[in-house]
Amino acid sequence: MIQVEQLTKHYTQGKNVVRALDGVSLGIEKGEFIAVVGRSGSGKTTMLDALGLLLRPTGGRIVVDGTDTTRLSDDRKARLRVDKIGFIFQEYNLLPTLNAIENVMLPLQYARHPKGDREWARTLLAEVGLADRMRHRPDQLSGGEQQRVAIARSLVNRPSLVLGDEPTGAVDTETSDQLAAIMRRMNVQHGVTFVIVTHDIDLAAKADRIIRLKDGKVVADETAALEAVAV
Amino acid sequence: MTQIVRNLTRRKLRSFLTISGIVIGIVALTTMGALANNFNALLDGGAKYYAGYVPVADAASNGVTGGGVLPLSKQGDIASVSGVARVFPTIMVAARPGALQVVSFGVPDYIGSYDPEEDNYSALKTSFASGGNVTASGQIVLGSSFAREFNKKIGDTILLPVKSADATADFVQHSYTVVGVLEPTLTAPDTGAFVNLADAQQLFKEQLPVALQPTFDQTKYVAGFDVYGTPGTNLDQLADRINAQVSGVKAQRPSVIVQALKDGGALFTEITTAAALLALIIGGLAVINTMIMAVSERVREIGIKKAIGATTRAVMREFLLESSFIGLLGGIVGFGLGFAVTVLINASLPAAQGDIFLVTPGLAALCVGFALALGTLAGIIPAFRASRLDPVTALRAN
Repeated sequence: MIQVEQLTKHYTQGKNVVRALDGVSLGIEKGEFIAVVGRSGSGKTTMLDALGLLLRPTGGRIVVDGTDTTRLSDDRKARLRVDKIGFIFQEYNLLPTLNAIENVMLPLQYARHPKGDREWARTLLAEVGLADRMRHRPDQLSGGEQQRVAIARSLVNRPSLVLGDEPTGAVDTETSDQLAAIMRRMNVQHGVTFVIVTHDIDLAAKADRIIRLKDGKVVADETAALEAVAV
Repeated sequence: MTQIVRNLTRRKLRSFLTISGIVIGIVALTTMGALANNFNALLDGGAKYYAGYVPVADAASNGVTGGGVLPLSKQGDIASVSGVARVFPTIMVAARPGALQVVSFGVPDYIGSYDPEEDNYSALKTSFASGGNVTASGQIVLGSSFAREFNKKIGDTILLPVKSADATADFVQHSYTVVGVLEPTLTAPDTGAFVNLADAQQLFKEQLPVALQPTFDQTKYVAGFDVYGTPGTNLDQLADRINAQVSGVKAQRPSVIVQALKDGGALFTEITTAAALLALIIGGLAVINTMIMAVSERVREIGIKKAIGATTRAVMREFLLESSFIGLLGGIVGFGLGFAVTVLINASLPAAQGDIFLVTPGLAALCVGFALALGTLAGIIPAFRASRLDPVTALRAN
């Protein structure tokens, strides 16, 4: 589904070149639930941004469902994102002026051929346990509820891949467990691939594949017990 | 649309002030435009009127507004000039002799001689709102503003000329019976009252200096003539021929009068438009400032939208729609207020003044359309900045 080949991303800081990603190669198959772990500065978020086609790599290439994204324009990438990729952010990133269902439906207004509708948005909100919170605005929802809305939003246009950047990073342990369970259920129920960057060992433990990054390189890529990857 | 309204209500005071800037500009454009419209309608009517005949007056005058005295016998001399179809003697006297009117947005009230046949030749056609033509001495037809000012209708009597407070004891007034009231023309006939030639000649005499009146036989004199050409006659050339062949008169070229009227109208329009545009530019700058602030405050939101699939064009469109909406709202409210101002001022003016504002559908479209365009233009730079934001940087903005 996604092929990453010799992906590099270098930044210049003064006279130094920071190798945020340094020759990352991996393949992601449909329906996988992948946790990306590593210390801060290991390149996790940069890799997620690259997979989400939000930044232009310095080298290498990313192929999404057979489309080489290397030379795509920003707008072509945006269209590819809305059609195939959903995002979940650590800080929820809901629009404050929209209520829950409007936030969920937001990606649909940017899709040329929306694959969801209001009914599907309602279904998703019900699936994440917010059937009675659809008209609430973000400031009327708890952190966990906001993240559930964000999960529903990430799935509304029926993407094949959902990228999560520390999705449980801003909630308590109990809520974190609930969110992890929801994401895993969505992964199984809807056959959507999840790639989650996390420091949360409980969330990583629910993954069926764990990729460990260090200094911009993949140092481990396996289905393994959490203890083995030692986040 | 819902999102636009919600975004505007996030910063209520700022949105209010920004929209107010546009509103003030559009109120200015509406009132100034209505003022220019009214003035131009007056001049257009005049231009249409003057384009159709050759005014002839005393040789010492400017050939248009009279001011002198011409023997009625000149009528025959003028009629014999090649290309002349009809010659109508004319007299126009002040309806309020002695009144001081320094500034006017229209033609001051007047009493004129009136031959119903002239309507068959004149380019400016009049029609009756009620009643009909003068058929005998002692009868009068009133222009629409004149009738409203004196609150007269068919069958009423009216004493004219109007006696001023400081008039002398021998000031003469005549009683006329109103036999007709004209439809509004937006130009000179509206403030006129029309009697037959004999009555007009009598009034003409009574407004001469007292020392001249005893020896003045008013039946032999008029103030000027309206000369109409035969079909196909060049009226400028006809004026030249009259000047060459008839002594003691001055025929004015119609094209000169029309051009003078147009020049006056253009200058007035330029002044009023410039004043309104200045106010609108200030309103436009307020929109630019507001939208730049909005972009700065919503960097993270722009990042979110880009991450979930908004294209450059989609982001740009959203901000342009928002700034356009500000312009449209300001335009509608501003035009509404401006229109109300014109109605109130028109209603509060003395009837003798007549309306000074004329709001037309075209002016409404101009005001709202201009505000919409201004809002859209003002949003271009902020929208462009928003659309070009790097999504990764924007997503991590505080």
